[in-house]
Amino acid sequence: MATLLINGKSHTVDVDPGTPLLWVIRERLQLTGTKFGCGVAQCGACTVHLDGRAVRSCQTTVAQAAGKKITTIEGLDPAGRHPLQVAWIAEQVPQCGYCQSGQLMAAAALLARNPNPSDQDIVTAMSGNICRCATYPRIKRAIKRAAQGVRS
Amino acid sequence: MKSRVTRRAFLASAAAAGAALTIRFPLVGPGDAAGAAAYDPSAALTITPDGLVTVHITKAEMGQGVGTALAQIVAEELEADWKDVRVDYPTNDPKFGLMLTGGSWSVNWTFDTLSRAGAAARLALIDAAAKSWNASAADCVAERGVVRHLPTGRSLRYGEIVAKVPITKTFTEDELKQITLKKPADYRVVGQWIPRLDIPDKVNGKAKFGMDTFLPNMVYAKVVYPPVREGANRTAVDDSAAKRVKGYVATVTLPQLVAVVATSYEAAVKARDALKVTWDPGPNASVSTESIFAKFAQAKDDPNAAAWHEQGDVRAAMSGAARRHEATYTTDYVAHMQMEPMNCVVRFADGAYDVYTGSQFQTFAVGTLAATLGVDASKIRIHQHYLGGGFGRRLEPDIMVETALIAREVKRPVKLIRSREEDLKRDFYRSATLQVVKAALAGDGKVVAWENTLVASHPGKRWGPDFVDKKGLDQFALNGADHVYDIPNQLVRAVPVETGIPVGYVRAVAPNYTFFAVETFMDELAKLAGVDPLQYRLSMLGSAPRLARVLRLAADQAGWGTPLPPNTGRGIACVSAQEKKTPTWTASVVQARVDPATGKVQVEKIVCAVDCGIVVNPDGARSQIEGSILFGVSNALKERGTVANGTLVQSNFHDYQVLRMDEVPVVEVHIVPSTEYPTGLGEPGTTTVAPALSNAIFAATGARVRQVPLLPDRVLAALRART
Repeated sequence: MATLLINGKSHTVDVDPGTPLLWVIRERLQLTGTKFGCGVAQCGACTVHLDGRAVRSCQTTVAQAAGKKITTIEGLDPAGRHPLQVAWIAEQVPQCGYCQSGQLMAAAALLARNPNPSDQDIVTAMSGNICRCATYPRIKRAIKRAAQGVRS
Repeated sequence: MKSRVTRRAFLASAAAAGAALTIRFPLVGPGDAAGAAAYDPSAALTITPDGLVTVHITKAEMGQGVGTALAQIVAEELEADWKDVRVDYPTNDPKFGLMLTGGSWSVNWTFDTLSRAGAAARLALIDAAAKSWNASAADCVAERGVVRHLPTGRSLRYGEIVAKVPITKTFTEDELKQITLKKPADYRVVGQWIPRLDIPDKVNGKAKFGMDTFLPNMVYAKVVYPPVREGANRTAVDDSAAKRVKGYVATVTLPQLVAVVATSYEAAVKARDALKVTWDPGPNASVSTESIFAKFAQAKDDPNAAAWHEQGDVRAAMSGAARRHEATYTTDYVAHMQMEPMNCVVRFADGAYDVYTGSQFQTFAVGTLAATLGVDASKIRIHQHYLGGGFGRRLEPDIMVETALIAREVKRPVKLIRSREEDLKRDFYRSATLQVVKAALAGDGKVVAWENTLVASHPGKRWGPDFVDKKGLDQFALNGADHVYDIPNQLVRAVPVETGIPVGYVRAVAPNYTFFAVETFMDELAKLAGVDPLQYRLSMLGSAPRLARVLRLAADQAGWGTPLPPNTGRGIACVSAQEKKTPTWTASVVQARVDPATGKVQVEKIVCAVDCGIVVNPDGARSQIEGSILFGVSNALKERGTVANGTLVQSNFHDYQVLRMDEVPVVEVHIVPSTEYPTGLGEPGTTTVAPALSNAIFAATGARVRQVPLLPDRVLAALRART
């Protein structure tokens, strides 16, 4: 048994403490916005926030996550209107969309610690997240747009 | 109803018309009498009494924005108010005809059909409204979802007509063809900047992919795959340890596969790891990259190689020429690496299979599933989801077949998710290739003869006799080798070779490797002739003025000919991708810097010019071109699948690397305004990158790299080989 605090809600799940957080979020709790891409922290599709920090949920165990504040894409903003989500639509970023929850969560963690990222800051923060559709130029533009919105 | 298009009919017409076929579905009968719940004028759309227009998208939405674009086409001629337009992605039904998404075909194949479907529905609505007013339809117009009677000013909204007025007008095939469609100058929806309908749910986690399916009582399966990609035989299965795993449900042992089923994904993985399966590795156990290319090298001299494309007399022209040139190009295996690993959920109940996944080729999947499971095609229902990347991977029904077989055994809904490692090892790769290109030049430098020997595995061979021509050739393994340059004598020799590594269709398909050879070789010939590569190409594009135009446009926008820093160069390439008969005219200039010490190539900027005819959704078009260009950069710079012991060596994103944000160049896109019939945009950009980049490396350093990907050690070797 483990208790997980996800998007402000407490969930008790009967799983082995070594179970990757990803599979609990996705397949037990059916919060399917968090995606499985590689299972080895290479692609970033499973990115969630643990106490505000972007982590790969495929490489985070339930034991490591217990007692911490877990945020998934569903909890990024109550109305789905986080400045990044708004910017993502304005820049028409997603193509297939599968990696975009992870991209958004990585970008949100970046803006939370650095509200005015340079191009290089963005590239450094985001290069762990793969987009096979290669929406990278639009991701970069959307992050800048959101950052401007947050500052102004 | 002539809506059913068989695979054979599809291939026959594709071969005959270069796939310029249109899948037609006739308008069906009248809507129900007054008070109808909905008006279904055809398989393409439904209008409900609330005024909403739902366009039924039978193409897979895999990021190309096809749902929005096809809905725009319908809405344009329907005169719908865009805010009333919705889309859905229906479950397979024979009324939808061929359900296949690929080849950059979607808009090209449906533009006329959907335009007419929209127009016919508009005319039927006008007719119904006019009759209700005892007025002449000629005095009525439809605009933004409202029919108006001009003399009296009376009006009815589409929803009101559906709710209250009998809609009786129908169209025969001939009448459909006679409908006068709008002129591009009058478009109000097509060509407009319209946000994609699928995007909002892709930023909040709500978009549903196949893997996001949950059914009551569902269990998780893992298949034990053989150590060799093809040809291994299972000799024993011992599930005694697997049975002790908590959550274990069953072992499924069938001729086609062995799998374990458990109550959770983690338990299924544990049980799979505990399952002992022994294998006889079979005849392909020693297949390697080296053995495959050795086989290719031998096959290229096959005197019986089929002539796939031929004009003039190459042999005579070669022998009498002033100068000849020959070069050999190779490309490596490329994996799809779509972000969503292959997965499927199947429920088997009452003799029918409900299949939950994302498919690019439902028609083929239904046929394959029905044959494998021994049921009628009507018992297969594929519930379509968003595709977490397609790129051709989801043309294949393999994951559906596995899941359905397991579900039939366990009598519970089954979810099968491949790990990334399994996904990569079980992929159907873009074939490795070897091409020998020869040309003869006249004294003035003009090309008088061109011969390309193309050695590759042909995917269609695996799919069955419907997917190859009479010579056993799959045209989709060859397209592009029949380029559009004005060369009087041409020959493409096709040499299909089986290797033990199955191949499939990967974004942009054959033109990735054919145009790499064609466009790099063209650069080599320009050098030989002492002519600028841009001018050299233009001198041979008399019969392809639209290609010449985009070539000039890309060159102008890229500053072709202006000076660059040392070790930096520009390369150019132009293509008639994807198919010669339905080309999207595309040209790119790549600017790249080469580190002469390491051979590492930095792509700095790509300027791409495209003429695809009418553009339905300009931003979607731009997005597709950007993405396809960067997919090409990833292919050209990084992606090398190698083979050892009969299987792919690479296993995940750490050793099969794809483009990340830190390697992305500036991408500049120029789309030529056009009123020509639209072609497609998902792939052509990809095919320009490898040759333009190889040519840029040559321009920067004088080193000619003839192997894709253009890896640093290959660049270094070419730098050392400079004369």
